Amino acid sequence: MIEILDVSLPVIVFASFALLTIPVIKAARKRQKWENTLNLCWFLAVFSITGATVANLALKYYSEPPLQPFLNLSLIEGSSAIFSSMFLVDAVSIYMAIIFTLVGAVALIYSLFYINSNEKFSERYYAVMLILIGCVIGTALAGDLLTLFIFWEATATGSSFLMLYQKTARSLHATLKYLVMIVIASAFIIYGLSVIYALTGTLNFWAVKHALAVLADKHLLEIAFIFIAAGYSIEAAVVPFHMWLPDAYTAAPASSSAFLSALVDQGSYYVLLRVLIYILTPPTVLPWTFMFAVLSALTMVVGNLLALTERNVKRLFAYICIADVGYNLVAITSVTPLGIMGNLYFFLAGGITTALSFMAVGIFNSMGFKTLDDFSGVGRKMPLTSLALILAAFSFAGVPTLAGFIAKYLVFTSAIEANMSWLAVIGVLTSVIQAAYLLRLINYMYGRKPNAEAEAKIKEPKKPLVPIFILAITIIFLGIYPTAVLNLIDPVIKQFPFMP
Amino acid sequence: MQNTLLLTLLLPALATLLVYLLGKKSAKTAAFLIAFICIVDITLLFTLAPTILNGTDHKYVESYYWVPILHASFTLFVDGISFSMAIITLILILTAAIFSINYMQEKKGLAEYYALLTLLSVGLIGVFITSNLMLFYFCWELMLLPSYFIIGGWGYKEPYKAAFKFFIFTHAGAVFVLLGIGAIFMVTGDLDIFQAQTVLMTTNPELVKWILLSLTVGFAVKMAAVPVHMWLPDAHSEAPAPMSALLSGVIIGAGAYAILRVSLLTVFPAISATEFGSVFLHGLTVFGVISAFFGSLIALVETDIKRIIAYSSIAHMGYVLFGLSLFPSQEPITGTVLHLVNHAVSKGLFFLSAGAVMKQLEIRDIREMGGLAGKMPVTATTSTTAALSIAGIPPFACFMSEFLIFVGAFQTIKVDNFYLIPTALMLVATVLSLAYALRFLSHVFLGSTKHEKVADAPSFMKLAMIILAVFVVVLGVWPTFFIQLITTVSLV
Repeated sequence: MIEILDVSLPVIVFASFALLTIPVIKAARKRQKWENTLNLCWFLAVFSITGATVANLALKYYSEPPLQPFLNLSLIEGSSAIFSSMFLVDAVSIYMAIIFTLVGAVALIYSLFYINSNEKFSERYYAVMLILIGCVIGTALAGDLLTLFIFWEATATGSSFLMLYQKTARSLHATLKYLVMIVIASAFIIYGLSVIYALTGTLNFWAVKHALAVLADKHLLEIAFIFIAAGYSIEAAVVPFHMWLPDAYTAAPASSSAFLSALVDQGSYYVLLRVLIYILTPPTVLPWTFMFAVLSALTMVVGNLLALTERNVKRLFAYICIADVGYNLVAITSVTPLGIMGNLYFFLAGGITTALSFMAVGIFNSMGFKTLDDFSGVGRKMPLTSLALILAAFSFAGVPTLAGFIAKYLVFTSAIEANMSWLAVIGVLTSVIQAAYLLRLINYMYGRKPNAEAEAKIKEPKKPLVPIFILAITIIFLGIYPTAVLNLIDPVIKQFPFMP
Repeated sequence: MQNTLLLTLLLPALATLLVYLLGKKSAKTAAFLIAFICIVDITLLFTLAPTILNGTDHKYVESYYWVPILHASFTLFVDGISFSMAIITLILILTAAIFSINYMQEKKGLAEYYALLTLLSVGLIGVFITSNLMLFYFCWELMLLPSYFIIGGWGYKEPYKAAFKFFIFTHAGAVFVLLGIGAIFMVTGDLDIFQAQTVLMTTNPELVKWILLSLTVGFAVKMAAVPVHMWLPDAHSEAPAPMSALLSGVIIGAGAYAILRVSLLTVFPAISATEFGSVFLHGLTVFGVISAFFGSLIALVETDIKRIIAYSSIAHMGYVLFGLSLFPSQEPITGTVLHLVNHAVSKGLFFLSAGAVMKQLEIRDIREMGGLAGKMPVTATTSTTAALSIAGIPPFACFMSEFLIFVGAFQTIKVDNFYLIPTALMLVATVLSLAYALRFLSHVFLGSTKHEKVADAPSFMKLAMIILAVFVVVLGVWPTFFIQLITTVSLV
């Protein structure tokens, strides 16, 4: 039997370890020689324990007979439960918690090895990362709109610390832009939520869903929906609300960009998925699918075209993150079990692919290679990092034997299933554009001669390659044998028709 | 043996790493390892030949667990058509590897080159021996990636530019294939072509029409039919010669094979009775005729030694398209598949011979060549064999298959007189192909000698060319084995 403690434990444990991390890292710093080893051991310990709490939740959920696929657990039982925070355990939230923990661990370990501008990260940086992982898992486990809002806003706002870290003029500017957008978004959302509460008298997912299904006058609901959809779209960087993302991800240190794209970005898509599909199905409650299909097409086209014209490599990958929102939205708008499967697979595949690319680009950036021209001929000088970047690039482009292909296949097939073949056509055409600019990058890396000055500086660092190749091998494995993850997603598909 | 086909596919896949490691020490050993793998694979496939020829349904199937949720099982199968294509692919890879020993020896990074070549062979074999569309698409794109890097890494002039064009064009084609596959999965709930075929028969023909178009356009890009041929001349002429041989020999052949296997044999039966069915076939005819003329005419005026051959490939894909458009009568389709086989060996030989000339002379303009027959007797002989085969002169390979296609065409004219003019035009195109073949031979090998100090190709290059030349003659004189194999496949 799953208790409320089982559900809240991952969040609590992450938060407490975040606090503990500060003194531990400080203490480790005093032992000069052992610092790296001690840090690594500490984080491995942290992730084993937090991983154990997540695993405990997953095992308990799956060992129970699935009489009730959706477990609603409130913090306070009894008559005042309606005011209490609710947690929700279903196959989706467990899957999300697992991938957030795993990918978060790799991203954090990369930041241990990644040395940016000759300076190591301070202990607070890691503490923020741990808190963020906790919050994003909290988002996945939230069972009512308010809990979702609280955890999600904590994640979104907390992310600004990771972007801000270098405190350069550019990063301050970008973070300010991000924060303003986030504040506007949360204002929108909270306004929308209050209208929903007024309409339905509850914020619990299933209660809201039932209440909306029988709602007679939908005018207020439309207003609420517009506000909520706009708010969450801003946070997911759906075009036309995408302007903050390229700046923020370019100004942030590479380890932050990797972390944010792998966890916070995917978290924002998860929120869209949960709010749109799980609460507003069937789409007859509100005809939102067409609107989001248009936004999705717009996002794919604009994101990829901007990337096509971009010459700063890190910014190019930031634009790919925007394009990825579009691909995720294709699956969300299809409102089919296949689409949900595609989304969930995309959260993992897209997350590790973006993380991998930011990690690899980070290594190049730390050597002063920033624009496409700087990347001339690096392929032969830094073979392993380049190999990882190529794998990420082909995975983005949706080339089979890599994880990105299965994700895109599921997404486009779900669009065809939902009678939106036009969206699938736009999707595949934009992924050809994607292949074009990624091949151009490869062309620079391998097809051109390096300039002599840059060549002298090149020395491939070894340690960051460990997390990078963990992700690269995962991408290949998931591409060749997707069953490993699809079997985890399968219960979601089986539960979908029984949604309360 | 139970797992013959799995072994056939996994052997090169697993050997890739070994080839890479061996290649670090000695490139020659890596090439021999590839040759050895090809011979083992050919032997493995030949153990299945009796099953195909004498079995009840003339095919051999193996199925393994892969992604059950998406109905993608790791299904491998061979029938007469797949068998012929797979065998010829392996022969070409074998000769390409042997040829590379001398041809590539001064180049850097040979370990990577041979490893990529091995990986390419996995994709190529896989395309021909799978019946699951997901696995098919995996292998389809696996042909693309290693070719991209081989062209880019070891090509001429601006190789990454040619490679880029190649990748973008064929990838754009591939995404349309993907759309088609996704739609087939949506409609039939299955990805196995034999299962899908039955279910598609009961599907709304309007939808099947779009699936068919999407798939065929995608495959046609790989096949380089006019008007989606633009990637071919650059890619084929800038690639190193062994890669050109594979590109022209089997990769574009894979496009044609896919049109036959997936478009025509799987999807087309569902709408063959409708009006669109005949429009579709006539469309193939028209594009076939255009390709044949376009390719031949440009080959007639081109002066770059490899571009002539590249354009001739476009012309020959025109014959193949013309042959495919005569579906489902038996002779032309047999002729078409046989032509894919014959064209693969002939064109492979042609590219290798041209590569040998280029390698020894280090020029590519045929106007600067001449009189090489006395200097390079072996290369001259193999080139002549290849050129005459390409021109459709008996007793060389391509004559037999073109003959079969035309016999089929004449039979079809009796039923559908639309084919009258295209058939006449195709006959004219064969004259053009003789013209450019003779022009090539006379410019390069006949006339006065302009280069005094030219030696014939090194021994391994000679060996590779002689192997293919023997096949060209043998297939021309005795095509019976392949014809027997191909005719076991039921087209209806």
